[in-house]
Amino acid sequence: MQKLLSSTCLAATLAIGLAGLAHGAEYTPVTDARLTNPEPQNWLMTRGNYQGWSYSPLDQVNSSNVRGLTPVWTFSTGVDSGHESPPIVNNGVMFVSTPYAQVIALDAATGDELWRYKRKLPEGFSALHNTNRGVALYGDRVYLAGLDAVLVALDARTGKVAWETKVEDWKTGYYMTMAPLVVKGKILVGVAGGEFGVRGFVEAFDADSGKSVWKTYSIPAPGEPGSNTWEKPDTWKTGGASTWMTGNYDPTTDTVFWGTGNGSPWFGDQRPGDNLYTSSTLALDGATGKLKSYFQYQQNEDWDWDAMNAPMLVDFQKDGATVNGLLTPQRNGYLYWLQRKSDGGIGFLKAQPYVAQNVFKSVDATTGRPVIDMDHKPGTGKMAQFCPGLWGGKDWPYESYSPKTGMVYIPSNENHCNKFEGKVEERVPGQWWTGVAIPDFHFSVDPKAPFYGEIKTFDVNTGAPGWRQLYAHSMMWGSLLSTGGNLVFGGGTNDREFRAYDATTGEELWHSRTNSAIIAPPASYEVNGVQYVAVQSGYGVDAAYQETLLSELLGWQADVPQGGVVWVYALSK
Amino acid sequence: MMGAGVALAPVALAPWLARPARADDDPSALHPQPGDRLVFLTGPKKGQIIKPEDLPLGGPQFQAYPQSPDGVLRDGSRLNLLIVIRLDPASLSPTTLANAADGVVAYSAVCTHQGCPVNAWSEEKKMMVCSCHGSTYDPRNDAKLLFGPAPRPLPALPLKLVAGVPMVAAGFSARLGGETA
Repeated sequence: MQKLLSSTCLAATLAIGLAGLAHGAEYTPVTDARLTNPEPQNWLMTRGNYQGWSYSPLDQVNSSNVRGLTPVWTFSTGVDSGHESPPIVNNGVMFVSTPYAQVIALDAATGDELWRYKRKLPEGFSALHNTNRGVALYGDRVYLAGLDAVLVALDARTGKVAWETKVEDWKTGYYMTMAPLVVKGKILVGVAGGEFGVRGFVEAFDADSGKSVWKTYSIPAPGEPGSNTWEKPDTWKTGGASTWMTGNYDPTTDTVFWGTGNGSPWFGDQRPGDNLYTSSTLALDGATGKLKSYFQYQQNEDWDWDAMNAPMLVDFQKDGATVNGLLTPQRNGYLYWLQRKSDGGIGFLKAQPYVAQNVFKSVDATTGRPVIDMDHKPGTGKMAQFCPGLWGGKDWPYESYSPKTGMVYIPSNENHCNKFEGKVEERVPGQWWTGVAIPDFHFSVDPKAPFYGEIKTFDVNTGAPGWRQLYAHSMMWGSLLSTGGNLVFGGGTNDREFRAYDATTGEELWHSRTNSAIIAPPASYEVNGVQYVAVQSGYGVDAAYQETLLSELLGWQADVPQGGVVWVYALSK
Repeated sequence: MMGAGVALAPVALAPWLARPARADDDPSALHPQPGDRLVFLTGPKKGQIIKPEDLPLGGPQFQAYPQSPDGVLRDGSRLNLLIVIRLDPASLSPTTLANAADGVVAYSAVCTHQGCPVNAWSEEKKMMVCSCHGSTYDPRNDAKLLFGPAPRPLPALPLKLVAGVPMVAAGFSARLGGETA
């Protein structure tokens, strides 16, 4: 039996070493100072900075010359399914992760492969979403959240495993897809598995040793503050509040802002109460993990509207004063302005819908708590339609904030709904346990709608809407990147295009057709004085599944090609 | 905009779940063997050996694991997860009928797409459904795919009726598990 355990629990791994860092090139260690003030030429973390802006200050490529942008190299990952990670770049070295937890190190200027890490997943393993959303860099290591809920530290120069730490038992439904977050010598991860009835948490590990430093559950245990919001015994144990997207970080107050998923199972009447901290933003102390504050977007959730997207740290004007704020377009279709208090607290300021939504009758101006239209709240044995549907006004793809324009750019979807009812199901650990089967989702769209996917923009100070881009024949599943060159880059459409828009006017200035469709975030960086824009094209996961439904509903293309390719562009010389 | 010499990505699919069960010396991880019986994983008869009369005619399916004649539950490998359903023999395709025991049919519950458990039932379509990405299989016709991304049918586990109890008659009809890159 011991032999059995050792052969299965230790998931074998493989680092395929090529040249490693060529010619003895120096790798520049990543420090806290560099993460706090990242150099414009680098893209050191998933969203470019701790504030989560998805913004590059680089401006060599700009709205006047972007039409000259051309591919300079590509790299086939050799992997299928949904590629959702941005290229992470540190002084000329690029790290991309792929579905099934692979990491590829590349020369960011030439595309030469330096090394590749392939995680061997355990026998019988499966995950609802097999994607990965990027690596984290710290010191001279690369950190990967393995799909099988194992955190892996790799040597940035060679790809060799420095350590592995099991975060959770995948057989119980936990898995990991987000990019880790580095906070002062610690590597923070969250977990997916809400559809399987897990209890979410954020856990911090020592960057050197891989040992756990703190672990904070996103659902309180009995006796802890908030536990009285789980009124039915034991529902908290399987209540969801997964933590499947990376948080953002405020170094000045050492506060981590991390989003949580909806409740499990999906139907609130099976877990009466507000169900803290489902569909919330948590404010956690970076050093201890202690919960400083929270904001819950909707209580006793029924719509699969995770609040997994951590808010961006954006300072905006309000009543003539600058507010240290949080800005977040949520899956529930509302755009929120929140306050970052000096003690790490979160205050509600205002919310407004950014897509049509029929569930909230209103949002309390003081607390931010929505008043629910019960006609649009599904329940156990109670069929109800709600719009936007379960994929929300936006799903996980990143919005972008440009400090240059003062605008937020939101990849959105509209004119779609779901209608379902719940049933009570017996839970089998590691198996789907939402209370509704996929064929019974009754996803629908308005067939006469003039568009479905869109980019919406708003002034962060006034909330006034700006330009829009409407996609008549596609949903929008692409993260956006704004740049100092007054550009917004993004893919996200089923026509395989990668596009650049004028950040001020929304005019489409450039496009490039890629191998697959793009659901990964773009990034920008500079090597030897040349600005590059890079993105992975590789369709899959929910975008592809939704597309199969739309092929039946609207006749859209059912088989958008899959397979990952890293595309890197620069101005033609 | 695609430049010369830019290659499209090959979609590399490699079987990763097709290996034999974990350890030859662990009977709980062995794949189903002839003579094994089937045991409910869930429901009011959880842990009990499945008999045809325990199953509602026409579905839904139940999840099960095989159990050896000497009582070892073969749940040591997730690849041994089964779905069992009782259907009108007149509704079955010839191959499915040949694999059935008094209308009881068993398939691998591991989706051939990405290995998720096929644990949902569409009452509307009377079909077995994978909860991960909606692959929908016809239990009457060799678990052929009707919808979704799975590349091939679910492997069938041939059964025979012995003393009124469905027993495993032979190994799976195809290799187990999903595809991944």
